[in-house]
Amino acid sequence: MSAGDLGAAAVRAALFLSLWGTGAAIYAAWRRDVRALLSARIAAGVAFGLVVIAALSMMFALATHDFSILYVAENNARETPLFYSIISLWAALEGSILLWTAILAGATAFIAFRGTLAIPRLATTALAVMFAMLTFFLLLITTPAADPFARLAVAPENGNGPNALLQNHPLMALHPPLLYLGYVLTSVPFAYAIASLILGEGGDRWLVATRRFALISWALLGVGIVAGAWWSYAVLGWGGYWAWDPVENAAIMPWLTSTAYLHSVMVEEKRSLLRTWNLALVVATFALTILGTFLTRSGVVNSVHSFSLSAIGPILLGYLVAILVLSVGLLLWRSARLRDAGPIGAPLSREAIFLFQNVLFMAATLTVLLGTLYPLVAEAISGAQLSIGGPYFDRVEIPVALALLFLMGIGPQLPWHGASRATLERQFTAPIVAAALGALAALVTGTSALAAVLTYALGAFVLATVVQEFARGVRARRTLHGEAALAAFSNLFRRNGRRYGGYVVHLGIVLVALAVATSQARTVDAERTLAPGDSLEIAGYTVRLDAIRPVSEPQRDSIVADLVISGNGASEHLRPALVQYPNSAAAVGSPGIGAGLRDDLYTILAAYDQRTLSWATIRTRVIPGVSWLWLGGAVVGIGAIIAALPAPRRRAMRMPIAEVAVSAK
Amino acid sequence: MLERIGARRVLIVAALGVAVLVGTVAATNLASSTVYYLTPSEAKARNIPSKQIVRLGGQVKADTLKVAFGGGGTATFSLVITDGVEDVLVIADGALPGLLREGAGAVVEGAFLPDGTFHADQVIAKHDEVYTAPTVGATPAHRTSFP
Repeated sequence: MSAGDLGAAAVRAALFLSLWGTGAAIYAAWRRDVRALLSARIAAGVAFGLVVIAALSMMFALATHDFSILYVAENNARETPLFYSIISLWAALEGSILLWTAILAGATAFIAFRGTLAIPRLATTALAVMFAMLTFFLLLITTPAADPFARLAVAPENGNGPNALLQNHPLMALHPPLLYLGYVLTSVPFAYAIASLILGEGGDRWLVATRRFALISWALLGVGIVAGAWWSYAVLGWGGYWAWDPVENAAIMPWLTSTAYLHSVMVEEKRSLLRTWNLALVVATFALTILGTFLTRSGVVNSVHSFSLSAIGPILLGYLVAILVLSVGLLLWRSARLRDAGPIGAPLSREAIFLFQNVLFMAATLTVLLGTLYPLVAEAISGAQLSIGGPYFDRVEIPVALALLFLMGIGPQLPWHGASRATLERQFTAPIVAAALGALAALVTGTSALAAVLTYALGAFVLATVVQEFARGVRARRTLHGEAALAAFSNLFRRNGRRYGGYVVHLGIVLVALAVATSQARTVDAERTLAPGDSLEIAGYTVRLDAIRPVSEPQRDSIVADLVISGNGASEHLRPALVQYPNSAAAVGSPGIGAGLRDDLYTILAAYDQRTLSWATIRTRVIPGVSWLWLGGAVVGIGAIIAALPAPRRRAMRMPIAEVAVSAK
Repeated sequence: MLERIGARRVLIVAALGVAVLVGTVAATNLASSTVYYLTPSEAKARNIPSKQIVRLGGQVKADTLKVAFGGGGTATFSLVITDGVEDVLVIADGALPGLLREGAGAVVEGAFLPDGTFHADQVIAKHDEVYTAPTVGATPAHRTSFP
């Protein structure tokens, strides 16, 4: 039995179990039947195991170059290195959907075994929803539209090899799985929300049960987006990291609604407000992940990622419509039970700032959606093919982002219910001074574009509020518990991880904002055609072309330019290259990047003398501060981990021994 | 109580104001950021005014790719994009992107000059997952911009 047969059989067995599990979970929730729940639990566990086996057998088939499988023949070649063979599981549609299904099966099993322990009926209903979605995806990968194990009648001698862009950088191992994890885990809060609506629960139990899932999926999405930007920067060779490409938009939209949700959830927890709104945000986040998959996988929009046409488009569209109809129907049906506890209070209260933050995040989501879908609508109406350029997104989203940065400094500093004048003075004096210093710092370093100056000012504003919060927290612990400064600092995270982890996330966002502003405002370009020995000057760097040489590897041929960098204290060798893969029509640029905390020197081999290698055209770009973007993404991830870690159980207050002795009597 | 209701109204009006403001900015920018995708025949038929940014797609005509080097290591290149009916001469500054091949499909973004020549700012090529040369009429996406 080959790996392909094993995988195909495992998927079909998992489909059967998933159907069984759906029925069992529905019955268990309806009749409160424990045996049915146990049966669904086993089905979930075994189905997860089977889908993992299917994914592993696909990896095995890729690693052993089994070209009798169509997917392997199209996305692998004998020369493909082992590492890229294995990660080719997510190099194309069918494998990606298989990975997606495996993650979904894992989440289903987690709810079956852990979720149902805490709140049995709600979690069992949510389990039924998860099983239904899992069944859909398992059905999908057993149809020809996305069957990863489809066979070829005659296995070819060699395969086509992976897309040149996907085997050119190891970040490919990280970026898609992170995004898929983020995408798929949004289905857990969705399933609980739907379950809560079906059962007609007016309360917040679904929300408390899925808080951690929502946070983790949000963080994975965010880190996955930054990893994608980094991949784009390191591979595509245009020196940028974000182009408002439809696929990028598809990834950022659920992240935006999810960010809105993480904040409005706090309003519901603390004040029992915005109940319907939170349900709607969870549904929107989940629907946007499916919309994104539809947009990128159906070929209806043109994008760097818009993959081969497939019958999967109409199926995903049907799934999306079904989800929206079900969710909106349930929301309308149950709206009477979702009364808020009262009106929102004063304009200068934390809940009011969260409300504004939500309005802005929704505005950002809808305008990105508009720009992404407009070409589709225009083509349907007038037949004209067009695209919406980056300037639209820049002009709309940058002001919204700046306003959000401002609110990020305000919101955490205001108390719930409303703030007095004294509170405002106490909270904002230092941050306002910091904002002025931030603007000054921007102007001194030669950053004069308005958006960039505002970003520096607001970044400093937020930074100051966060530092102020930590300083006060540490001081409070030192007086109350007599802890040393360092112990007090780490105990802030341990005791109140959600709050202080959140501040760390805010710091990460500030880093990202500063990196984007700096790199967008102060990038310098130069392009020169050089003979070996010649050099060019850019922003204090000297780039000397040492040699142009061909390099042959089993899977590709490259032309490499050896560059020697000096100036600004740098002493480095960069090797930008043009790489020719056998399956690719054109050569792929592979930039040489000298990364630094101050700036990156980005070099591209744009053209070369194909006959005698006597000259090469080198395009260079000095991009300040761009490394802070990746660092900021990492800080966001760390903050999310701190916020998601469970707080230690509170110990009883220590009493002096004498009193214990007395009370023991 | 009355004060509460007043505060609430302020909030709602402010939130709506923000939404309307963002909507207006979006609507006004949408039209000006629209970039049409045209074949040479469509471009001729529509009489696109110079300076309007458009994307022009077609095949690179055989024996028309030319590179010229100026002083100080600068370069310019030119090519003819055709859809089999109409031809457009395209010029651009910078090194010849490796994406351009004679006989292969190409999409360029830029604007027409008054004399009917097209000045390209970007060469755009489509990267398919299963690698194939872009066909005539294939649309955009990954950009290689050059100065």
